[in-house]
Amino acid sequence: MEEYAREPCPWRIVDDCGGAFSMGVIGGSVVHSIIGARNAPAGYRHRLVGSFLAIKHKAPVVGGNFAVWGGLFSTFDCALVHIRKKEDPWNSITSGALTGAVLAARNGAVAMAGSAMIGGVLLAMIEGVGILMTRMSAEQFRPVNPQMEDPSQLDQKGPSFGTQYQ
Amino acid sequence: MDQNSFPSSGLFGSYGAYSSGDPSLNIPVTSGASGSLSPYLNVDPMYLNQGDSQFIIPNGQARTRGRFELAFSQIGSSCLAGALYGAVNGLRISGVETKELAGRVRMSQMLTLVTKQGASSANSIGVVALMYTIFGIGLSWSRGTDDEINTLGAATMTGMLYKSSAGAPKMLRGGAVGLTLASVYCLYQNRDKVSSMMSGNNSQY
Repeated sequence: MEEYAREPCPWRIVDDCGGAFSMGVIGGSVVHSIIGARNAPAGYRHRLVGSFLAIKHKAPVVGGNFAVWGGLFSTFDCALVHIRKKEDPWNSITSGALTGAVLAARNGAVAMAGSAMIGGVLLAMIEGVGILMTRMSAEQFRPVNPQMEDPSQLDQKGPSFGTQYQ
Repeated sequence: MDQNSFPSSGLFGSYGAYSSGDPSLNIPVTSGASGSLSPYLNVDPMYLNQGDSQFIIPNGQARTRGRFELAFSQIGSSCLAGALYGAVNGLRISGVETKELAGRVRMSQMLTLVTKQGASSANSIGVVALMYTIFGIGLSWSRGTDDEINTLGAATMTGMLYKSSAGAPKMLRGGAVGLTLASVYCLYQNRDKVSSMMSGNNSQY
C-alpha cells in the first residue's frame, strides 16, 4: 500500500523535495552535532557550543543538498512516467542516474559519468531491496499445501455435480 | 383509473362521503413545494436529502487532513518558494552589484549570486517550515487534538528556536513574530466566526 499513499505526479515533486529536505536536516543535525563536538576545543561547554554551532551552520546545507537531489530525482521520475506511460523500477534507476549526471554537470564528462553510475547503482539497490521486501512479505500469504484438482477427470465424466464437492 | 369518472352515487354510493370532491383528501402523490406528506412514505421526503454534499466521516476522526499527512508537501513547497524568492532576489541584487563588470565575467558572477542566494533562502525558509511542522506534530500528538492552539504554540516555539542562538531578547522577539504571524493566519482561517462575533451574533457559537 506504500505506493498508493504517494501524491499524484506533479505534486510528487514537492512532496519528495520536502521529504528529502527533512531527512537531510534531521540526519545532518545528528551527524554534525557529533562532528562539531569532536572538532571543538576541549571542555564540556566548548564542545556543547561547537556542536550547536555546527548544527546551526551545516544541517540546513545538508538538507538543501538532499532537497535538490530529491526534487530533481522526482522531476525526472515524473517526466519518465509521462514519456514511457508506465511506472516500474527502471524509471527510478534511470532518473537516479540522470540526477547524478546533471548535478555533476559542471565538473566535466568523466565526473558526470561517475556520478551517474553512482546514482543509478544506488537507486537500483534501493529498488532491489524494495522488490525483495515485497517478495518476502508476499511469501507469507501463499496458501499452505494447496489442493490442485486434476483437470483430466473433468472432460471424461462431464459435469457431475454433488459428487466432488461434498 | 380516473377517480373522477366514477359517479358520485350509484354502486359505490354508500362511500360517497369519501369522494374525490372532498378537498381535504386531495393529497398529492409527490412532495411538492408545500412540503406536505407523501402518501407512500412515513417521513417527509424533505428530510431525506437536502441537496448538499454528504461525506462519510469515520467515527471520532477530524474532518481535516492531519498534520503529518501534509508535512512533507508543506516543507517542500516552502523550500521551493524560498528558492524562487532567493533566485529573484539574487537577480535583483546581481544587476546592481556587477555594474562594473561586463561580458562572461559578469554573467558568471550573476549566476553565482543567483544560485547562492536561492540556496540560502531556500535553506532558511525550509528549516523554519521543518521546525514548525515538527513542533506542530509534536503538539497535536501530545494534546490529542488538532486546533488553533497547536498552530499558535508551534509558531511561537519555531520563532524562539530559530532565534535561540542570538540571545534571550532576540529569542523572545522571534517568538513574538511567530505568534503574530500564526494569530493572523488563525484569524484568517476563522474569519467567518470572527465576523459573526463582531456583529454581535453570538447565538450560534
